[in-house]
Amino acid sequence: MRKTLSFGFLASLVALVVCVLAGTGPALAQEAAGFGPAPVLTAADYPTVAGVNGRLVIWIVAQLHLWFAAFVLAVPIFVFIIEAIGMRTRDKRYDDMAYEFIKVSITAYSITAILGGLLLFSLILFYPHLFGYLSTIFSKSMFYYALLFFGESAVLYLYYYGWHWLQGDLRKWIHLSLGLLLNAIGTTLMLLANAWLTFMMSPAGVDPAGVFNGNEWEAIHNFLWNPINIHRFVANIAYGGSIVGAYAAFKFLTARTSQEKAHYDWMGYNANFIAICALLPLPFAGYYLAAEIYAYSQQMGITLMGGIFAWLFIIQAVLIGALFLSANYYLWCGMGRSDGARRYYWAIKYIAIVLIGAFLVWFTPHTLVLTNSELKSLGGPHHSILGPLGIMPAKNTAVNLMIIFTFLSFLIYRRSNKVATVSWEGMGNTLQVALFTAGILNILFLGIYHGYFTNTVYKVAASIPQVLTTFVVIVVSLVLDSFIYRGARDVGPLHWGRIPDRAQYALFLLAVAFTWLMGLMGYIRSGIRQHWHVVDIMRDNSPNAFTPTLGYAANVVSVAAVIFLTLVIFVFWIAKVSSVKTLPAGYWKE
Amino acid sequence: MRLPRLLQAALVLVGVYLGFIVVFDYMLEAVIPGSLLTMYMFFVTVGVFMVFTYDEERTRELVAPIKAMVENPIYRGARNTVFIVIPLLVGYGVYSRTLPSFEAPVELRTIHPAPPSTAKIYGERVNLLTLENPFRHYQTDDPEIFAEYVQEGAAVYIENCQYCHGDKLDGKGPYAEGLNPTPLNFQDIGTIAQLQESYLYWRIATGGPGLPKEAAPWISSMPVWQEFLTEEEIWKVILFLYDYTGHAPRSWGEAHDAGGH
Amino acid sequence: MRQFLSVIAFMLIVIGSFSAYSNLGIPQIEPAPPPTEEVIDLGSMDMGQFLALGDRIFNGKGTCTLCHNSLGRAPMLDQIGSNAQARLDDARYAGSATDIEGYLRESLTDPSAYVVAGFGKAGTNDTESPMPGTESGSIALSGPELAAVLAFLQDNGGLEVTVEIPTDMGDEATDENAAEPGEPRAPFTSFQDLSDEFACEACHTIGEEAGDLGPNLSAIGATRDRDYIRRALLDPNAEIAEGFEEGMMPDDLGTQLYATELELLIDHLSQLK
Repeated sequence: MRKTLSFGFLASLVALVVCVLAGTGPALAQEAAGFGPAPVLTAADYPTVAGVNGRLVIWIVAQLHLWFAAFVLAVPIFVFIIEAIGMRTRDKRYDDMAYEFIKVSITAYSITAILGGLLLFSLILFYPHLFGYLSTIFSKSMFYYALLFFGESAVLYLYYYGWHWLQGDLRKWIHLSLGLLLNAIGTTLMLLANAWLTFMMSPAGVDPAGVFNGNEWEAIHNFLWNPINIHRFVANIAYGGSIVGAYAAFKFLTARTSQEKAHYDWMGYNANFIAICALLPLPFAGYYLAAEIYAYSQQMGITLMGGIFAWLFIIQAVLIGALFLSANYYLWCGMGRSDGARRYYWAIKYIAIVLIGAFLVWFTPHTLVLTNSELKSLGGPHHSILGPLGIMPAKNTAVNLMIIFTFLSFLIYRRSNKVATVSWEGMGNTLQVALFTAGILNILFLGIYHGYFTNTVYKVAASIPQVLTTFVVIVVSLVLDSFIYRGARDVGPLHWGRIPDRAQYALFLLAVAFTWLMGLMGYIRSGIRQHWHVVDIMRDNSPNAFTPTLGYAANVVSVAAVIFLTLVIFVFWIAKVSSVKTLPAGYWKE
Repeated sequence: MRLPRLLQAALVLVGVYLGFIVVFDYMLEAVIPGSLLTMYMFFVTVGVFMVFTYDEERTRELVAPIKAMVENPIYRGARNTVFIVIPLLVGYGVYSRTLPSFEAPVELRTIHPAPPSTAKIYGERVNLLTLENPFRHYQTDDPEIFAEYVQEGAAVYIENCQYCHGDKLDGKGPYAEGLNPTPLNFQDIGTIAQLQESYLYWRIATGGPGLPKEAAPWISSMPVWQEFLTEEEIWKVILFLYDYTGHAPRSWGEAHDAGGH
Repeated sequence: MRQFLSVIAFMLIVIGSFSAYSNLGIPQIEPAPPPTEEVIDLGSMDMGQFLALGDRIFNGKGTCTLCHNSLGRAPMLDQIGSNAQARLDDARYAGSATDIEGYLRESLTDPSAYVVAGFGKAGTNDTESPMPGTESGSIALSGPELAAVLAFLQDNGGLEVTVEIPTDMGDEATDENAAEPGEPRAPFTSFQDLSDEFACEACHTIGEEAGDLGPNLSAIGATRDRDYIRRALLDPNAEIAEGFEEGMMPDDLGTQLYATELELLIDHLSQLK
């Protein structure tokens, strides 16, 4: 473990030195001369290094860096929450779980730093002018970014290695504060890096020729900065949860004792719970981001939602569907932990029917792929039944139903081990049914009536009351249930570890689908810039300026995902090796 | 007697599959695209799998027959048959999918796009939103002259159009089978009954090559009739189309959402 | 180990099926390559080809149809023939155009000059247009390209095409600059520069330079005084040297020369003896 420590420090040191040399060097030179316009490049300005495709290298390295960074930033967030829960409940299991989470992320942290350094080197090597231009604008923030990395490393190592040292009343509080500081620094790091990439999408603080006005805050606080910040923050938590869930699932599968199995089952459940909690609001953060992209530039918005990228959203729909389905399946399987679950089994097939039905609507494309004979039989590519399912009101309705029914799965999971003792239980249940029925009917009404029978203007506007309905149903239902089950009796002890192995594969699917989905969406976020380094200001004139096809992008993402998973397995393996001791009999002199 | 769970699962899948086919292809008469049906069935299968396996006991029941067939020596005959038949089926599926066919590659296009509001016809730019059939008013003003024009339109139709669109205007002319996209069936309530006369005028006058960009590639074989017929002849044919089928052209009041799909 | 391998296999299958679906399950559309500047040969272009060029730019490089289409994102442009005049007359019109061509040009270069009701940026009450200027930024049409789009818009909107095909590839902007009074030039301070600029030695022999359309000036100071020389420069036809024709020498030097330059010429010539 000590090796990891020095490795991590070394990596961040390298990153820092490189940042200072490469990032701020040209910046200082520029400041003396005033800011020039964005460079106009020709194909000759992009060096070929060792015959590799520069864009591909940057693409894969940046994606790997992002995956690890998302994981490394997310874990401290929920470790902090779990530690706080442990302090409140004085249940040591929470503290142990939090420690195990952070242990998993510590090697990942140094890999993040190494990949960051690699990304920086690749940028300087393959896109020197772009990097030079960006570093003149973001000179200060790049410098502070490098310094913050030192702070992040120091606090992280103190937090991790001091875990057992800082136990007990006051010391535990100090430790928790360290966790908060760690999150503050980590989030700041993410915000800074987000500013650089959103500047490339929605430049601010520069004139149309790219001459910087010297106000770096304006460049950081560009139009898309906050929408990306929110989206990434929420997605990171969901992602971190899913990766830790996969870790727990693997430990569960390889556990030898029933005690171990119970522990990792519990850990997997909690990780999945975190992932689902963050997953539910994610579609709305995504809508917000897309709406802001539209508001910033209509042209960019239409490139995003129409044209070639329209098909990407079909792939996205399939992946999000896979996320929802595997999360639900895991919950259903988990009901077996309770002896009282059988009471609710009848409901599962109806939930499944709605989920699958909504999912089919969710991914029905607007433009159908038709063979010639089908075209002939339909008389044209417009399908009178499926066509209307391809547009936004149908999708919004479907995704809201999927969220409500996923929540319903969670609700029956929570109920499965409890027997209410309040006298008005029957009425409470009636209220719950009425609430869900009213909510679902309202969503359907909004979607169908406003989506198809009124003016186009309402089509999009109806999605907001739909989301609000979903939100109200979830909150009111949770509150109501907490009253119904106040002082409720347990059916019996929960049998942690009593869950089929298949359920663990649902956790793997969740992690893999999440990883892949992030890669895919990274492609489109970057891809809507089209042939621009910095939109409308600095043109990409390299031979790689073209937008690749979806299949090509999917293959790159797949290759990167396999590399990522290999590294993750290495990280998990290292975490395991560190606690293994071999006793070499007769090796050392007594 | 309760059905074995494996059979239940299989029945659900077959039922959903046939349900899609029956509902779309026969009841709604709008065939479900094969590519979409494949994806639908994939996810329905996933759903069925989920519902039938979330509980350990039910899963055991589900796989019991499969397990028995593989492991129990009594069923050796069945097992060997299955182990031979399934690879053969998969092999046949792969073979028939990879076999090159003469079908043209799938292309994404819009055959009947929204009309432009103006078009260049007979060298002049005409406004399709306000264009009217110059002979339409005779229908009320002078029915005799109107009937005469319809007769003239019929003659033009028989001479030029019926080879593809059919002598009953049902899109089943002698050459119809050879064309893709198929000639329009004017009897259908979804075709000319939904359109303004000006849309017909535009489609007839400019033909397949006059389709706007979004309808590319222009494989519609409709000729550019403005090069063969006079303006009056086209308008008279339009009179005939509505007269023979008994449809009325879309009224001018709703001129704004005249979308031809 | 068996568990480990089956987990790995499961993950690879999942990733592989995502890839397979993306490659085989959906149509692969080749995105358009980045736009390049069209090489336009204006000299050999007739109006039909010019309009076709405008059409190409309108549907391609100009990316106009992203919004100006039947989906209602921006006003349709096939009606401008009947709308443009009404917009010019609208009380909300704040631009500087006086005719329809000017209005169209303005809406291409400065879209916010007039925003059609209902199409403004949200919250600006139709005072700001979401459309980017087409001369700069990502669209960056050159002068002739802009003219071609204008011509296409006029034709497409049922108007008479009043735009003329530009005669050279140079931007229209530079043509306009040339038509306006240019910057005053800096005065010359040596005789030789002046002589080169106004090509005196094309006709006159001065020292070694030899021209024979005008009198030899190599020793003019010996025979003529300063007043004569001044008059000969300002009003060359007042007195013609023997053997030479009237009207050969330009008579507008007085309006082209600075006073210092005139004096410099007289000084220099009167000293040639």
